[in-house]
Amino acid sequence: MSHDLASLRRQLEDLVGNSHVDAGPETTAAFAVDGMIPALTVRPGTQDEVAAVVAACAASGAALVPWGGGTAMGMGNCPVRVDVVVHLDRLNRVVEFDPDNLCVTVEAGMPLARLQEMIAEKKLLLPLDPPDGARVTVGGLVAANLSGPRRLLHGTARDWVLGIRVVLPDGERIRCGGRVIKNVSGYDMNKLFIRSFGTLGIITEVTVKLLPMPAAQASVLGLFPDLSGAAATAEKVLASFLLPEALELLDPCALDILAPALGRSAPGNFALAAGFTGSRETVERQVRDLETLISERGGTVRLFREVDSVRIWDAVTNAFGALPQDPLRVLCMVAVPIARTAGMMASARAGATGSGLTAATLAHAGSGILWAAFFPAAGLPEDEAVSRMVTTLLALREEAATVGGSLVIQEASPRLKERVDAWGKPGSSFAIMRRIKTEFDPQGLCSPGRFLGGI
Amino acid sequence: MAQNLLIEGLRQVVGEANVLDSPVHLQLYQYDAYLEERRPDAVVFVHSTEEVAGIVRVCNQHGAPFVPRGGGTNLSGGTIPFRGGVVIEMIRMNRLLEVDTANLRARVQPGMFNLELGNALAPLGFQYLPDPASQKAATLGGNVAENSGGPHCFKYGVTTNHVVGMTVVMPDGEIAEFGGLAPDTTGYDLTGVFVGSEGTFGVCTEVVVRIVRLAEGVKTMLAIYDSIERGSETVSAIVAAGMIPATLEMMDQLVIQAVEQSIHCGLPLDCATVLIIEVDGLKDDLEAQTEAIVRLCKEHGAREVRVAKDDAERALLWAGRRGAFGAVARLTPSYLVCDGTVPRTALPAVLKKVAEVGEKYDLKIPNVFHAGDGNLHPLILFDWRNAEQKARVMKAGMEILALCVELGGTISGEHGVGLEKMDSMRLVLSEADIRSQLRVKRAFDPKDLANPGKIFPAPQEVACVP
Repeated sequence: MSHDLASLRRQLEDLVGNSHVDAGPETTAAFAVDGMIPALTVRPGTQDEVAAVVAACAASGAALVPWGGGTAMGMGNCPVRVDVVVHLDRLNRVVEFDPDNLCVTVEAGMPLARLQEMIAEKKLLLPLDPPDGARVTVGGLVAANLSGPRRLLHGTARDWVLGIRVVLPDGERIRCGGRVIKNVSGYDMNKLFIRSFGTLGIITEVTVKLLPMPAAQASVLGLFPDLSGAAATAEKVLASFLLPEALELLDPCALDILAPALGRSAPGNFALAAGFTGSRETVERQVRDLETLISERGGTVRLFREVDSVRIWDAVTNAFGALPQDPLRVLCMVAVPIARTAGMMASARAGATGSGLTAATLAHAGSGILWAAFFPAAGLPEDEAVSRMVTTLLALREEAATVGGSLVIQEASPRLKERVDAWGKPGSSFAIMRRIKTEFDPQGLCSPGRFLGGI
Repeated sequence: MAQNLLIEGLRQVVGEANVLDSPVHLQLYQYDAYLEERRPDAVVFVHSTEEVAGIVRVCNQHGAPFVPRGGGTNLSGGTIPFRGGVVIEMIRMNRLLEVDTANLRARVQPGMFNLELGNALAPLGFQYLPDPASQKAATLGGNVAENSGGPHCFKYGVTTNHVVGMTVVMPDGEIAEFGGLAPDTTGYDLTGVFVGSEGTFGVCTEVVVRIVRLAEGVKTMLAIYDSIERGSETVSAIVAAGMIPATLEMMDQLVIQAVEQSIHCGLPLDCATVLIIEVDGLKDDLEAQTEAIVRLCKEHGAREVRVAKDDAERALLWAGRRGAFGAVARLTPSYLVCDGTVPRTALPAVLKKVAEVGEKYDLKIPNVFHAGDGNLHPLILFDWRNAEQKARVMKAGMEILALCVELGGTISGEHGVGLEKMDSMRLVLSEADIRSQLRVKRAFDPKDLANPGKIFPAPQEVACVP
């Protein structure tokens, strides 16, 4: 540890207490970002302590990375530097729960699952469903703009966040938004920090609006011998009056992973899964209509009601968590215009086959989001595996770009990230992004290098 | 001389006929729906992104401020050229460029009226959800600049929830694309940051919006009360029962009387308040939802609840609500529209206090508000020829905003800060908050040419000097 970091360590210990500062690779290795092990980890206990910690890092020129549940740490490019990881797990309190006004304010380190449990007691929910919801923190959800199948009806964090508090890179604390659902008092600063990946400061508190729990829910799974039947049915649903909360396309590999939850299906089957919530009358009607649409296109129907419906969405949302661990596997998210979603699924699968890789894919069919996991065939030498991954990813990114979309790597080995940028090329708006970064973090100390274009 | 060069430069971009600089023309562009006036140096009609870029480059060269202007319906002075310069008149960029039903998006020029877009989408079975009450005369570019709300945003959100991309001419004349047809664009959410920036980040020249299917069914109700408190209690009761109606709108007695005189939609003149409630969605449970809401209204003291039988009756109810601001003009030569917002359950308390403010300053304050989202619009009536009365109005307005903040709310729900609420910004923002917002402004507009002199109060140090 350099002299500066040793002195920073003593300062941080003074600020948050000795037991909340760790140093040395044996304890900090668990907080490595893309293999880069921080010199220090610090666990502030209050928002003011976060501010003091950030100010101390800024004064000593230490690069910091905020850490919530750690579920999105695979995203982004390899950081340029990581001196200090600011772990927010002690920042996990409820600041204010106002069920009558359908809103709640919590500290950023509050796990999403715990928040959901608490508000469920008042028959309320936050309809955001990122993968690994048990570990995701509310702050991480916002900073990484994580989402899941339910974004079809409910949107993403940007549609539910009413206010946040942020510690800026110089240690100053600010408030963005508030706790009312309409607010144009100055710029909409919430949007600047949502999905900014810790590059503009550390989110320390979040206020979100909530929804009453629906009276009923059910899910319909349609199994088809090919992708086109499932995709055509999805298209029909989107053009109808139906209002599914989620509409997922699953490929045979994803179906295989999900067999424990969804039941076995014939080899080679594709599926369309739709989730409906609302009153008993509207759920029943939508189930009936979708069953008809599926049968008309030669599919077979499976129906899941109430707790079974909850269980299968839990499984679908976390499908990739159930994939085999493999240091060479790559997870990516492709975003395209809605009508291109099924086409991208076909391309991802064909690309994998062409390169001798295995792919598991699932797509939010009504949102233009495809998730793809690529695995090398067993026994393939590492260099060859990485090269094939690179080729496949770049071809898929190219195809997404031709329709105005993007491919973002969610998880990959540092070796692969050296050869494929996690975000792709920045567009015509990058100059302004760079200027924003410079205004807020002129020293470049907050999550340096992880974001688009080297920000 | 510098002035002539500026005008000459503008003419070279758009031609002689599209630049106005005669005193008569300039006078027409020195006001909007707020109460202040400032004269621009020139008004320029633009027809394309390239023309806007050319005009902005000329402004940049000459250090001239510019203000984009749509329908001019702004209630906070957002379109008033506070430091002179060039008004960029967007109204001819009013085409619907593309309706892409497969991707559930539409691409629109900013000068199109909100209602025109709705009218173009309806025959296709689609809609654009944000619907400010002024939708007949308010443009989509203006909606983007102000992050407009409207009666339907309790259930469906505001403009920012429905704008997914845009083309922007930056204050240096460069053209940039934010967001687009595909979701989750990489990098910072510049679309989200731009929406609601009140023309201070550049000129939006194309907007990509989310469109959705028209609802299968709609039911509209009118609940009539003898007590405004009971009316606002009902609003919370409906939400507490787990229902999210598309709209929950209220008008008080003075507004009802004005509306009735001008629109004749059959509102009772002797009631204290009416609540307009609309539920929409799949047909299957609308009847049941309507019955449940009617029951709740009666339990909370509604003396009568009417359910619109058909589209004509529904349209009449809405004509009354949408015409409210216009109708109030019958009561008085001028009025100040407040736009404070509170958590919904604080509505009864804030309404009572607004009435007290009216008594204290001897002013009439009728009220029309979006009860579902806690956004109230007290209309403080006055006569602009009476300077002493206007001074009282401004004080009363400030006091109402302070009340909203005290109750956990904010100073503007949907009308923007503009010139009107600059001095109230410190009620909700700390000096650090203001500094951080100014950092974003500097990143977009380092020369401070895009709609300067708006939103932010003068720095505290300067403001304190006597």
